[in-house]
Amino acid sequence: MNHFPCDLTHSTLPAVTQAISPDRSANDSGGGAPPALVARGVGLSFAGLRALDDLAFEIPAGGTSAVIGPNGAGKTTLFNCISGLYGYEGELTLHGRPLGRLRPHQRARRGISRTFQTPALLDVESALQNVALGAVAHSRVGVVNSMLSTRRRRREERETLERAYALLQRLGIAALASRPVAGLAHGDRRRVEVARALLSSPSLLMLDEPAAGLGAEEAQDLLAEVEAYAGSDTTVLLVEHDVALVMSVARRVVVLDSGRLLAIGTPDEVRADPRVVEAYLGAEDADGPAPERLHASTGDAL
Amino acid sequence: MSELLQQTVSGLTTGLVYAALALAIALVFQGTGTLNFAQGEFATLAAFVSFALSTAGLSWWLIVPVLVVLAFVFGAGVERLLVRPVEGNGPLALLTVTAALLLGTNAVVALIWGTDVRSMPSPFGDAVHHVGPLTFTAQALGGGALVLTAMVLCGAIFRFTPLGLRLRAVADNPDSARLLGISTGLMLAVGWGIAAAVGAVAGLVAAPTLGLSPELMTNALLLALAAVTLGGFSSRLGAVVGGLLIGVLSNLASRYVPGIGGDLQLVVPFAVIFLVLLVRPQGLFGRPSAVRA
Repeated sequence: MNHFPCDLTHSTLPAVTQAISPDRSANDSGGGAPPALVARGVGLSFAGLRALDDLAFEIPAGGTSAVIGPNGAGKTTLFNCISGLYGYEGELTLHGRPLGRLRPHQRARRGISRTFQTPALLDVESALQNVALGAVAHSRVGVVNSMLSTRRRRREERETLERAYALLQRLGIAALASRPVAGLAHGDRRRVEVARALLSSPSLLMLDEPAAGLGAEEAQDLLAEVEAYAGSDTTVLLVEHDVALVMSVARRVVVLDSGRLLAIGTPDEVRADPRVVEAYLGAEDADGPAPERLHASTGDAL
Repeated sequence: MSELLQQTVSGLTTGLVYAALALAIALVFQGTGTLNFAQGEFATLAAFVSFALSTAGLSWWLIVPVLVVLAFVFGAGVERLLVRPVEGNGPLALLTVTAALLLGTNAVVALIWGTDVRSMPSPFGDAVHHVGPLTFTAQALGGGALVLTAMVLCGAIFRFTPLGLRLRAVADNPDSARLLGISTGLMLAVGWGIAAAVGAVAGLVAAPTLGLSPELMTNALLLALAAVTLGGFSSRLGAVVGGLLIGVLSNLASRYVPGIGGDLQLVVPFAVIFLVLLVRPQGLFGRPSAVRA
């Protein structure tokens, strides 16, 4: 169910980008460390349609943050820009270093890892091999070495498989390690993809709708496990429709609507923002005061 | 009965050449998503280069590895310099480039070596071996073994090495592979290189039997296209099995089906392509493609 009204007009949206407080961002990042991700004037058009428009926000380093918004808000498009699949205007900075025009594989080597709405796995390969692919970004085995059975290659392969298996164990699917992923249930495929993303020890882990197809408790457990495994060096950035889940785990929430930044802040700040309240629940089909209904829809998180 | 067996075995040995070419076509298709119409011409060029190396006095034991390395570099270079610049312009642009490569390579070969059919000595000699009721030429046995070795090595690289895992990841989902840190550009170049190397071995083996000319692999390309359609474009094993089946079918049809004979042998691959597309478009081993609505 989409809680966002489709007729939300841009004219009602304030220039939120100017409202971001640099001081607050710096405080959120903690200890003076640069934010995990900074967007400045990020925009993108598809055939004249403005998919992202002048986005500016900061994601603090460490913990979990989230991007929410209705269908077509530009959440996955933003992920595609961050991961380098789409070219964009403006600038993205990862831990203080501009990403510039780096290509996707170069961004992966910089520490960006992500999952997809529909898990993108090698269907004919085993769960273990799929997870092992996550180590490619930091592999020291080149093209020639990888064709030969060198000692370095064998050692790296063994270590990678051991780490991959340990991750599968941690996510509770070690029994599926040798099974081709084509036959796995959606939730298990999702876990395999998350494990693959984690294996690369990313500094920014982007999860695109990780709760899709999972029960509420399963999703909570998965995210808790991800955050625990990733540790403080990894920032988790979610795109998620399940608002209650987002409000319960996110440190900072970015709200997009029609490619524009609608609001940004802590879950409490976002929840209290009248623009978000209106966007989420609308005014015309309201059964009661909007803030109460938003509160109710995120009640699990409170 | 023994004649049927002989025809079948002969079909298998010629089928190995189609299989290798089909494998090369499948490798490129899986990586780039396009048909490389020039795959046969690359093999022809390799056969002429091996002829030139042989004429220059290089031993066959050296020619094979040198040819494989040269073909790999050539294939990777073609991908990097001619294919990649138009990659973003859609499948039609890619097809046009490979068609231009076909004509261009053919013209270059004709320009350098002429259009006359030359006799190329077999690296394996002219001996004839008898195994029970079956007769084999040394060329068929040695050539078959060489092509088989090339295909097994190619399969092993794809199946058992980290490079193969990366190549398979790129073939399966290029975007996802990029985001894992895999340089898809490098992997595509490597894929084209491996395909050219496997095709080069096919050209080297075909030349002594078919005669060396710019048209060496023209028919073989059609048969290889039928093979890869039969086996499935998404399956390397399917391409190889398809090649062997096409070799046997063509041989048996020309021998036993009235009216076909040697001249009309090419009817068989066309019939196979038509039937497969009608009954099982993904081929025997291929996966049906799914398009998200």
